[in-house]
Parts: sequence; structure tokens; C-alpha cells
Amino acid sequence: MEVPEFANSQSWIAYQDSQPAHDEVYLADGQIREHWKYLLESLAFLGPEALNERERKARRILRDDGATYNDYRQEQPTRSWQMDPIPLLIDSEEWAEIESGLLERAELFNLILKDIYNERQLVRHGIIPPELLFSHSGFLRPCQGITLPGEHQLIQYAADMIRAADGSMRVVADRSQSPSGTGYALENRTVMSRVFPSLFRDSHVHRLSLYFQRLRAKLSQLCPNSDIPRIVILTPGSYNETYFEHAYLANYLGFSLVQGNDLTVRDGYVWMKALDGLRRVDVILRRVDGNYCDPVELKGDSQLGIPGLLEVIRCGRVAIANPLGSGILENPALIRYLPEIARFFLGREPRLASVPTYWCGDSADRDFVLANLHNLVLKPTTRGSLNQSVYGLELSPTELDDWRQKILRNPLRFAAQEFIYPSSLPVWENNRFQPRSAILRSYAVASGSSYTIMPGGLTRAGKSRSTALISNQLGSISKDTWVLASEPEKQVSLLHGEQETTARVQPWDSLGLPSRVVENLFWVGRYAERAESALRLLRTVFVELNGIEPLPPATYPMLLRAVTHLTTTYPGFVRGDDGLFSNPEPELLAVVTDQMRPGSVAYTLNAMLTAADEVTEVLSADTQRIINDLRDELETLKNNLQTGLASAPEEALDPLVTTLLALSGLTQESMMRGFGWHFMEMGRRLERAWQTISLVRSLLVPVVSDRDEEVLLESVLLSVEALISYRRRYNGQMDIANGLELLLHEPVNPRSLYYQLDRLAAHMNQMPSASGQRGLPAYSRFILEASTSLKLSNPLELARHDADAHLRKNLDQMLSRVQHLLGDSASAIADRFFDHTGGPQPLALLSGEL
Amino acid sequence: MRYRVRHTTRYHYPQDVIQCHSLTHLLPRSTHHQRCLDAIIDVQPQPAQGNHRTDYFGNHSFHFTVQHPHQVLEVTALSTVEVEDLRPSMSLDFGITCAQVRNAMISNRDLPTIEAREYMLNSPLVGLSSELADYAGPSFDDNRPLLSAVRELVDRIYQDFTYDPKFSSVSTPVSEVFAHRRGVCQDFAHLSIGCLRSLGFPARYVSGYLETLPPPGASKLVGADASHAWFAVYSPEEGWYDFDPTNNKLAAEQHITTAWGRDYADVTPMKGTVFGGGKHHRVEVEVDVERLDTQAQFQIG
Repeated sequence: MEVPEFANSQSWIAYQDSQPAHDEVYLADGQIREHWKYLLESLAFLGPEALNERERKARRILRDDGATYNDYRQEQPTRSWQMDPIPLLIDSEEWAEIESGLLERAELFNLILKDIYNERQLVRHGIIPPELLFSHSGFLRPCQGITLPGEHQLIQYAADMIRAADGSMRVVADRSQSPSGTGYALENRTVMSRVFPSLFRDSHVHRLSLYFQRLRAKLSQLCPNSDIPRIVILTPGSYNETYFEHAYLANYLGFSLVQGNDLTVRDGYVWMKALDGLRRVDVILRRVDGNYCDPVELKGDSQLGIPGLLEVIRCGRVAIANPLGSGILENPALIRYLPEIARFFLGREPRLASVPTYWCGDSADRDFVLANLHNLVLKPTTRGSLNQSVYGLELSPTELDDWRQKILRNPLRFAAQEFIYPSSLPVWENNRFQPRSAILRSYAVASGSSYTIMPGGLTRAGKSRSTALISNQLGSISKDTWVLASEPEKQVSLLHGEQETTARVQPWDSLGLPSRVVENLFWVGRYAERAESALRLLRTVFVELNGIEPLPPATYPMLLRAVTHLTTTYPGFVRGDDGLFSNPEPELLAVVTDQMRPGSVAYTLNAMLTAADEVTEVLSADTQRIINDLRDELETLKNNLQTGLASAPEEALDPLVTTLLALSGLTQESMMRGFGWHFMEMGRRLERAWQTISLVRSLLVPVVSDRDEEVLLESVLLSVEALISYRRRYNGQMDIANGLELLLHEPVNPRSLYYQLDRLAAHMNQMPSASGQRGLPAYSRFILEASTSLKLSNPLELARHDADAHLRKNLDQMLSRVQHLLGDSASAIADRFFDHTGGPQPLALLSGEL
Repeated sequence: MRYRVRHTTRYHYPQDVIQCHSLTHLLPRSTHHQRCLDAIIDVQPQPAQGNHRTDYFGNHSFHFTVQHPHQVLEVTALSTVEVEDLRPSMSLDFGITCAQVRNAMISNRDLPTIEAREYMLNSPLVGLSSELADYAGPSFDDNRPLLSAVRELVDRIYQDFTYDPKFSSVSTPVSEVFAHRRGVCQDFAHLSIGCLRSLGFPARYVSGYLETLPPPGASKLVGADASHAWFAVYSPEEGWYDFDPTNNKLAAEQHITTAWGRDYADVTPMKGTVFGGGKHHRVEVEVDVERLDTQAQFQIG
């Protein structure tokens, strides 16, 4: 087939780039590059419709996997990870060249890192100006002299590369703090292989798994202690922009995901605060910036670190990768001196070229930058959200002057790079290929006496071809990167890795969960149940309010007050003001949708989602999917109810109830019976018991007329889904004692109080016992007492009341006692299993020296 | 001269501290004119871990962890130091000029000069500023020997600024000290360092002790001394020279050096992190600097 003709006949795969730059797909004469032909022909064969369909599928998988990227400067901070269905292709011959360049560059940066924290020959011999090092906030002086075991200090390294007009790859930035993106690259690959299974298979793409095997092996070799190492990934938490990746990698690599507060330093080692006590941690893969890792010696007000960590590292009792202080290598001014540095260490210039870089700490460079700023990319030497690159091209004359002043005030803080238009590559948009700027991040991991390079990496494409900026935070889209092998590769995967013998790692087990994780699971259970109870009651109230027969006047305020009691959205209807009762709609609406109001359905669900975000790594893929659904339905609910209650508001609540039921069903059916499950279930049972009691105390404890009592009993039974069983069992005879029997004492009713207490006791029996424990632990004792009170009571006795009484005293006393005991038991669980150390605070500062 | 220094720091907490990690710079380093003969540090309650080492700046640091719940933490540093007489009255009208120093800092390739360049930059607590340069500038004539110019700067700071322990705290920025013309030794050291760096000269922060002598006839009070701070300036030909702006003199025989760094943040005597302890704690500090040569007279029980 004549290729240009083919491209012409399929005009949607052709495009015109507006820039005089290299194009990844097409040659200058419009011919398709050899290594792209197979992919393009296959996509052309699929056609735009099918491609759209595959893209939708990809988006669905990403969403189901919970692949997100958070940017807290945006209104909607959590965004789904964006992936374009067209990969970037690199042929194996070219890749071999890039790979060897990256290998050399990783080695070089490793040597620089060693030197900076030891002899500083580069400074002493005048290879780099001392200010380049001494003025940079990434130079952590307390890390002087610390070395990791093995040949390498720099464990993971990444380079951002663009392709210049002459077709050569150039490095624009180096990443050495804790390079992000490997997890996203892996997720992209997983999605692509599912969306284009045969295309992927037939393209002979180099696999990514070897990289992760090597990473796992390297980390396990760093273990400074005897025994099989326990490895953790240290994350700043679910608010971090790449948190998805932290959880994803933890699962993929089989490491525990921890936050600073999950770890503690005792007896000279680092320990994880696990459910059954402290467990020693041997290796930390960190995603927290070095300066934040130890408030004792580094940034004193950091809440993300582990106090005392640096001293344990120094004593060689824990290893951390990348080592603290490695962020210094990200100073772009280093690129300026890289040729000299390479000559000093290796005796030759680097094979892989960088984009020409200047540093304003050098007076000649400064003059050049000031004179040519309009053509340069200005890069602050320290990275951060306030320190973004600035494109001279996009600045007005006044802005250029402002920047010149900033440079002159603090020249050491600015580097600049020549602006090179990146190559273009197609993205799938509006049913056709559209050219975009491309940047590739590739990864290296120390392995043996050298590095292993991930074949390909993470490709990102700009938002539009005219914007020069490409970064995750600015709305760019990612792509899978296919390095095409000449022949099919042997399949290796972590799951059946051959290298398992060299990478021995302590397996994950549920007792080893950090306390924070079980605490969050406990709360996921409680909040889910709380939201469900509230929704059920609200649904019942709506049905009764809109019923064909008007409600007896006395029951109306009682039902509304029950809503306030159950959701604890006081004062609400308990305030008892007439206006509120004559027009209850706004208040009911607020109880559903006002997310600022503690106790509202929206508030409770948000709290549940936050707790779930904290424990993503222990939730199954299906659970993750339901969590996503809940998030969406919560959004929809707000929109649906925005203009007031719909004609059938109970129907608007149905989808949420169904999804919550799916969640609890899934917990039953597909969650491993580990400690995480027990805690989630205990949370659920405690909450359901508490809610049932609240409901009965609000609606059945007060003494009302027989007619009203029937309505109230019916409402209670309806909202706990027991009305049908009740009618069947008692022939429709509405009687309070029968009702209480079913609601409280019935062992086979999964919503009865009896059932909750029974299950609670069973879960509590599975808890690990504390050392030196005598007799029943407190949390079990409280439940035993509650359950005994209940079992010793009798529905007839409970239903009885004095002739002129307003309350059923026996019932209220028993329920109030049980409710109290439930609270005590919950506190006892928290005391025993959850972490109460609280955040670290600085040792009092001296008043200073006199 | 030989000294015995005792430095006790006591923290009182309203609630139990469950765990305390601390890094201290409390024991004297050895310098060109000072030898630390012995040094011990005692922590109560007994720490689970305690490690001595030399830090990035060559200072003696001690890192410890207390795991025993406590409401009082007491750290005592005891050391014996021998300090050489530095002829404090020596005239300083010698050495290379300010202009020569500026050039040498750029062109000299010797190690001490390259390393001194670290002390010309912004540091955590001291920033370069034009107002400090304007203030100090008049003393630093291009043709004047640097050390002589610094001597004048120290004298001016002594005249222009009021010693006022109530004015400042550890976190008072230099700009505020400068605006109000008052502060304590640490502020005057930071201020001098800021002036020198703003003019392009390397200067570092020195923390230590100053021997105070009782009025004639009176006996010295126990615990009445204090930790002290001053600064040192670098001239590529002459090396580092210590000045005490609080007392308007060269830091000499009565100055005992503990540690040096870019500013106070590098050599904080005690810093760290605690878990628990409640909200409001209290700190007590006692320092005794005792001349061993006159042991009979100033014996401390």
C-alpha cells in the first residue's frame, strides 16, 4: 500500500503541525515513519467509532481503578487520570541509544550525589561554583556522610526528555527526590493492554515488569538488618497529588503504605504501629520530600515525617530510598555544569545531551539570560508550587522586566533553558488525530553494578500545540510509551517472578496493618451505616408525608424529630418551632445535602469517602468502584435536589441506599476475613445497634394513642425493612410488644439489636489479646453486659407503661443503658487499637542566647 | 586558661511526655585556640539511645531519645576547656583591604576560601539586605583593612543598639532588631553577620559561653552565667576572626566556643520533638563558667 495515499484516504489520522518541529509519526514529506505503520494501519482499520469506544472503555477502567491525580488549586481537586489511547512509539534501535545515555546519566548523578554528601570534590576542585550547592535548599547538611549499603546512593532516577527538531532526545530536567510517575506508567500500560489486547500483543512491546522487579530486589538488598526485610512506602497522605500511585505501587510491590505517624522510632530502630504492636521497618521507599522526613534535624514543623529517623538512618538501622538530601540533584543549574562534571568523573562528555542551560549565579550567564529572557525558559533552582517554570515567549514586556528584577535581586535562584519546541505527536480528540507537544519521562533504578532503565516511561502531551507548558498540574494528558521489540519478549510478571528468591520481602498480613488503616476501616463501616440509617428514615418520612392518607397530627412532629435525633443534626426539629413543622422541606433538604452540617447525609458520606481514601490500598477493585459510584451519586443527588424536593424525593434517595447496600454486600462477600474486615464490621454493627436504639427511643418510647402508635410502629418497621416480615409473622396485627420483639430480640433478624450485639461479640473474640491481659478485654465486657441486659428483658415488660405515663420507662431505661455501653465499648476499642500519640511537637525552644 | 563549664537545661511539662527526640550542641568543640579536655552530658530520665558525633560544621553534637514517660527533662553538659590567650587588645589595623577581600573571595582557589563562600549567602535566620549594607557600608572603605572595618562596625553596633533581654525572642527577625535598635547577643551576632554578608564578606555565627567575673569582693553566684553568642569574619589572608558585638570586643580568652554555623539554626543548643507533654511548658537554664586556676576561690558545691 502506498502510504501517503493510505494516509490521505484516512484523513482523520493525518494532521498538520503548525510548528517547525520534529513529528513523531510523519516524515516531512507526509510519509508515515516505519515503526508507526503497523499501529496506524490497525487504528485506521478500527475506524473512529471503534476508537471512541476504546477510549471510553479506557476511561472507565481508569475510573474503576480509582486512578486519580489531585491538584488542590483546582475547584474539583480530585481528577481522573487522563490517558490518550494513542501510545508514543519508539523503535528498539533508537531506544537502545536513549537507554545507554540514560544509564550513563544515572551513574553520573549517582557520583554527584555521593560527592556532595562526602568529599565535595566538585566544589573543592572548582568544577561547580560553591554557591550552586550552598545556596540550594535541597542541600541537607545534616545528611553529610550518610551512605546506603551497596554501590549506589541514587536508587531511583528519572529524566524528562523532549525531542529536538533534529530528532535527537534532549534532557530538560532530572528527578531525584522521589521520581513520580512509574505507577501511572504501569496503570497506563495495564489499561492499554486491556483496551487494545491484540494490537498490543502483536506490536511486541517491551514490558515494564522487569523494572519493578529490579526495584523490589534493590530495596530488599538495602536492608541493613538481618531477617527478611519489611519494606514500606512512606506517603504524605491522601491529599498528595500522586497518592493514587503510592497506593497502587504499594499493592503492586507488596509493601505496606504508611504515613509518618504510622511509624515511630524506639530503641534505635524504626517501627510500624501495627494492630498487634510494633513491627520493625527495615527499608523505606519514600514519597515525602527529604526535608520533611525528620522534624528533629530537618524542617522542624513538619507533620509528615518521623522524629528521630535521620539518626536511625545514620546508625545504619534503616535504609531509605532515595536517600535524604537527594533532592539537591534536581537543581537545574547542575545541568549547566554537567559536561565539566562528566569530564571530571568519567573523562568524557555525557552521551545524552541536555537542553542548553544557564545559571544566573554565573555572571556571564546572567547577562545572557537578562538579554535573552524573551527566548528562554526561566527555571527557579528550587521546585515547588510557587516556583514554576516561566516561558519568556509568553511574557509581556512589563512582565519580562519584572522577572529581570527578580533575577537581579536573587540571581542564585534562577536557571534558564533555551526554548526548544518539543516534537509533536497525535492525540485522539474530536474524532481525529490532533498534534500536541510531547515530553517523555524515563526511569532508572539501581540494580547490580549498574542501572535498569524502564523501557519507555510516562509520556505526557500538552493541552494544545501552542502552549509550551506540559505538566500534570496544567491539564496535560498522559500516554503509554511503547518501545517496540523486534521479536516477542519472554513474559515476566511480578506475580510469578523468577527473581523472587533475590527479592525476599516480608509478606503483607492483616495484623501488620498500621493502626491508622484499621481506624479508618472502622470509620468507613460506621459512616456507611450511619448514612444508610439516615437515608432509610428520610425515605420513610417522605413516604408518610406524601401518603394518600393524611398522617395523624400527633405523629407528624414525632417523625420529624426522629430525623433530627437519628442524624444528630440538632437543634433541627427538636427546637419545635411551628414554622419549621408547617414547612419542613428546607430543613429536610439540608439534612440530606448540606455537607457543612455535621450529621447530614452529605457530611457523613463525605467523611466516609475521606476515610476510604486513606485506605485505598486495602480496598478491592470492586469496592473502589462502588466508592466511586457513591462519590458520583452524592454529586447527582445535590443536583437533583437543588431546586427543592422532587415530586417523589424518596426515589432520589434510592440509588444511594442501593449503592450503600452494594458496599455492605461486597464487604460480606469479597473482603478477606482479616483484621481490616473485622474492624469495618465492628464499626458497622456498633453504628447499626446505636441507630436502632435511637429510632426506637424516638418513636416507640413515648406513649401515644393506639391509632398513632400503629402509624409510628409501621414507620419504624418500614425504615428498618422489617414491615413485610412483621405482617407475615403477626398477621398484620400492629402491636408494640410484637414490634419490639422483632426489632430488639429476634436472633434471626439481621437488623435486630440482638443480632448486632451477637456479631460484635464474635468480631471482638477475634481481636489479638494485649500482653498481660487478664479476663475479658474492656470492649468485650461492655458488649457482654449490653447483650445480657437485652436478653434478660422481655418484650411484654418493655411495652408496658403506667396508665398516665408519657414514657415506656422500662424500655427507655434498658435502651439508654445499652446505648451507653455501646459508646463505652467503642471508646475501649479506640483506646486499645487506635493510635493516640497525636502529632509531634517541637521541644520547647530555648529563650535564646544572651 | 582552664575553665569548667556546667550547662543545665530543665524542661517542665504539665503532662507526661511519652517520647522525646533531641539534638543538642552543648559540648565545646576544639578550635585553633581552644582544647576541649573532657566533656560529658547527662540526661534525666535515662535516654534509651544517645549518640555523640561531629556534625557538618565540625561541631560536637549529641542526639538522644528518651522513651520513659516524664514531666521533667534535665540535660546537663559538663566540660573542661583550655583557652589560649589571644592578646585581645591587639590592634587590628593590618591585613588585606575590603576590596582585596572581595576579589580574593571570587578568585582564590584555596580550600578555606572556597569553603568560606558558604558563609556569604542567605541562611535560615539571616538574609542579605540593602538596608543592612547601607548601615554598615560607611565603615568598609575599599582601602581599609577588613578587620579594622569590622572592628569599627562592632563598635558602632555597640553604641547604636541597646541590650534588652525583654525585646526579642529566638524568632525575632534581624529586620526587627535593626528597626528597633535593640536585642540580645544572638540578635547582635545575626545583625553583624547580616551586615557583613550584605557587603559581600563571609561571616559565621559562634555560640558558646562568656566568663563573667563577680564585682570585686563579692563571690560568684552559682548558675548566674549564660550561654553567649558572637560572630566570626573571614579574610582570605588572615583567616577567621571572632568579634563580640554585645561586649564590643574581640572574642578572646574569656570566650569559650561551643559550636559554629551559618546562624543560630545550625547550632541551636537543644532542639527536638516531643510526643505528649501538654500545652504550656516551662524551661530553666543554669550556666556556670568556673576558672579552674582559681578553684579554691570559686569552688561550686
